[in-house]
Order: sequence, then structure tokens, then C-alpha cells
Amino acid sequence: MTVAVGRRGVPPWPLIRQVLHRSATSLRRIPAAIVPVVVMPIFFTVAFSGTFSGLTELPGYPTDNILNWMVPYACLQSASFAALASAFALGRDLEGGFYDRLLLAPAPRWTVPAASIVWAMIRALLPLSITLALGVLGGITFPGGPAAVWWLAVGSFAVAALGSLWGLGVMYRLQRQSAGGLVQIGLFVVMFLSVGTVPLDLQEGWLPYVARWNPVTYVLDMARAGFIGPVGWSEVWPGLLAITVGGLLLVWWAERGWRRLVP
Amino acid sequence: MSPPVGPQLAALSRRAVLRFARQPSSWAPATIFPLLLVAVNSSAMARVAEIPGVVPPGTTFLMFLLPAAIVQGVLFGGIAGGSELATDIQGGFFDRLVASPVSRPAILLGRLAGAIAFGIAQAVFFQLVLWPFGAQVESGPAGRLTLVLTAALLSLGVGSFAAGLAARTGQPEAVQGYFPLMFILLFLSSAFFPTQLMSGWYQRVAEANPITWMVDGMRSLVLEGWSWFAVAEAIAVPAAICVLGMVFATRQLERRLAVAG
Repeated sequence: MTVAVGRRGVPPWPLIRQVLHRSATSLRRIPAAIVPVVVMPIFFTVAFSGTFSGLTELPGYPTDNILNWMVPYACLQSASFAALASAFALGRDLEGGFYDRLLLAPAPRWTVPAASIVWAMIRALLPLSITLALGVLGGITFPGGPAAVWWLAVGSFAVAALGSLWGLGVMYRLQRQSAGGLVQIGLFVVMFLSVGTVPLDLQEGWLPYVARWNPVTYVLDMARAGFIGPVGWSEVWPGLLAITVGGLLLVWWAERGWRRLVP
Repeated sequence: MSPPVGPQLAALSRRAVLRFARQPSSWAPATIFPLLLVAVNSSAMARVAEIPGVVPPGTTFLMFLLPAAIVQGVLFGGIAGGSELATDIQGGFFDRLVASPVSRPAILLGRLAGAIAFGIAQAVFFQLVLWPFGAQVESGPAGRLTLVLTAALLSLGVGSFAAGLAARTGQPEAVQGYFPLMFILLFLSSAFFPTQLMSGWYQRVAEANPITWMVDGMRSLVLEGWSWFAVAEAIAVPAAICVLGMVFATRQLERRLAVAG
């Protein structure tokens, strides 16, 4: 009771700032943990563009520059890794007891999960920059102008935030670091069952039926729009709708998990 | 007189296998991802298979992807198995082991038993699951057994590297950072896409990647039939990884023991 009274009127920012500072310090102090942040964006860009470069030869492929198709996909994949890393860090804190101490901090409790989400979004900025820089070096083009970068950034931050919410929900329920594997499965599934490598029209079998219902398909279409052609409202509204609906559902998912941790 | 190594190894191996099996969050990703990728790629890339020369007549793109599923699953499973050593270090079990009269090699090998058992289980599982969907193996039961042997060796090799990293850092998160590197090696190979459809430096790197040699050997057994050359290709690479991995893991373990003691 005393704790609850003590939280009233306390600004949330100091705790968020401290959690972000701690996360950044952890990232610096564990060199191996920075590998996914720096290496994965480079890997995704190079691997997707290199491995599947022959796809542009398929009749009907939307672009003749594989980088224009794969760089946005690599950005969003990397953003999902930022969310995954955030979930692993949360699992570590839950296992090690640090999270319990965070919950005792004199700040509104919502700031604790909020800090995880904000950290994932900040972390997604790094792969976004690296991937875009690589794309430019490789010869990516911007038929949609500056809007291409804008919508790519919106897509990346959205994937980081939504992925974090998914991770929070899983971690709050299982409360151990190894549950990060399940977070990973969820993120991989939605990223792969989409239009990552091949557009809907060129897919065969069962995949196009699933991809059509996968929200990530529309977020990807939005993030990619400016790299395929001029960007109009019709290219981005399905993505924005997917982010809004997905966000609401995942907030509910994370909040239910949070209630198990903090009844 | 020190206690016999055999029973220690058996007890630690049993613990590793049971602990691994009882944690679905450790092995589920390494089982589900490869199946997911095979399912997605066989559907998304179906039109690529129509290009002449990608797969032999009478075979399918799913068969092309079977070795990729096995290798991918084993790579990820090997990391998970090896990273259990980091969990032991973090949780204090490793210190208790070191304080007891347990043989030092048994600590490492016992931990890797979980990875090997999982690698074998995966190779069998993937072949059984994909069989009804058309993933035949043209070289028959001998070829299937060779795929299992390759998986076992690769599990030991990758698990050794992960265990070495675990011994060095003592942090599961750091060992998980090794996972992307495995993914890189896998993508820079012929696992998911034929190298003849790649171009430039990427194609050259993929063709020089030992994972490509191993996958090509396995793929030859799946798509073309039995050949001793293919068997040698499929076995030699994971055997070499085993040797290097064990050397690395042993050195890192010795280093940690020296610091601890």
C-alpha cells in the first residue's frame, strides 16, 4: 500500500532513462551480444540479396534490383532481432531477480515494460542505418524519394515495438531466459510467412493463402513501397492498419502476462 | 585413487540429455525453424525449381531442401546444447562439479551428449516428417543412415564450439550470439538455393564454403543416389569441425579451470 502511494505523481522518465542506460551499458559490456545488432543487418542484406539474386529473373518480379526488394525485408528482420534481444534481456532480469528490484522502484509500474519496448525501438535504429547504408553502397534506388526511407523507418520501429510486446507477453508468463526461443519462433514465423522473398503473385501452394492473412505482409508492403515505386496512401494504409490492430492485440497479450507477474 | 570416468560420463550425459529433453524452449526452435523454412521455401521458390538443372528430373524441390533442414536444425540444436554449459556456469552447478572429483573431460563430453542425441533425433525426425510430402532419399536406407551420421558429427562439432564459448564467457546470452554466425554460414552456402543461380563474389564464396561441400554431398545422396564420393563429402566436413571444436572447447575449459582454481 505504501509503495502504491509512493508512486503517485512520480515522473516515469528517470526510471525509463536508467533502464535504457543500463541496457546500453550491457550491450557494450557483452561484446558477443552486440553481434546480432551489427552483424545481423549486414548478414540479412547480403544473404538475402546474394542467395536469392536469381529471383529477379522470374517473370513478374516487381523489381530488377534485388536490393530494392531485400533491404526493407532485412531491416524488418533486424528490427525483430532487436525485439528478441530485448526479450532475452528481460528473461535474464526475471531469472536473476533484478526485475523484482525494478518493480520496487518509485515510479509508475508501466514504465518498466515501456522501457523494454523503447529500448528495442532504439536498438532497431542501428540495424536500420546499417542496412540502408549497405543498400546505398550496393546500388539501391529510391523511386519513392525520401518517403521510401520514412516508411521503412515506420515499419522497422513498428516491428521492434510489436515484437517487444510479443516478447514481454511470453517472458512474463514463463519467466526464464530460455523462453527466448519461443519468442524467436513467433517472430520468425510471422516474418517468414509473408512476402519476404517473393511477392504474393509468384508464390505457389499453401503459402500465399497464409501470407495474405499475415499482418507482416502489409507492414512489409508499406516499408517497401518507396523502393518499388512512388508512395501513395493506397500503398501504406493496409500496413498502418495492420500495425494498429496488431498493436492492440499484443498490448492485450503483454498486459495479461504482466498481470500474472504482478497480480 | 580417482573414480572411474565411465560412470561419471554416463551420469553427466544422462543429465544433459534429460535436461535438454525436458526444456522444449531449448529444442523446439531448432526443430520448428528448419521445418518452417523448408515449408516456406518449397512453396515460395516453387517456380525456381522449374529452371532446368536445379533438380534432376523426377525429383522435387522439397528433396533439394531436405539436407538444408537437417543441417540447419543440427546447427541450432548444437548451439542450444553447448550453451547449457553456460547455464551450468551461471547457475553454480559447474563450480560444484569442479569442486568434486569429476574427470574434467567428462564435464565437457557429458554436456555435449545432449547435443549429439538431439542431432540424431533431428535427422531422423526431419526425414520421417518430410517423407510423406515427397522427400524421398534416392540412395535408400544407407543414404538415410549417412545423413544421420553427418548430423551426429555436426552436432558434436557445433556443440563443442558453443561449449567453448560458454566456458569462455559463462553467459548463455553470449553463446546465443553465436547463432547468427551459424546462420551466416548456412546462408552463404548452397543450403537454400542452388549456387548456379547465384552470381558474382557471393557465388564464389558459397562454392568455397565447406557447408556447401557437406550439403552438396548430402544432397547428392538424396537426389541422385549412393556414391562414396558423396558420402566422403558429407562426412569429412563435420568430422573436421568436430576436431576443431573439441580443441577450442578443451582449451577454453582449461582456461576457465585455471582461473577458477
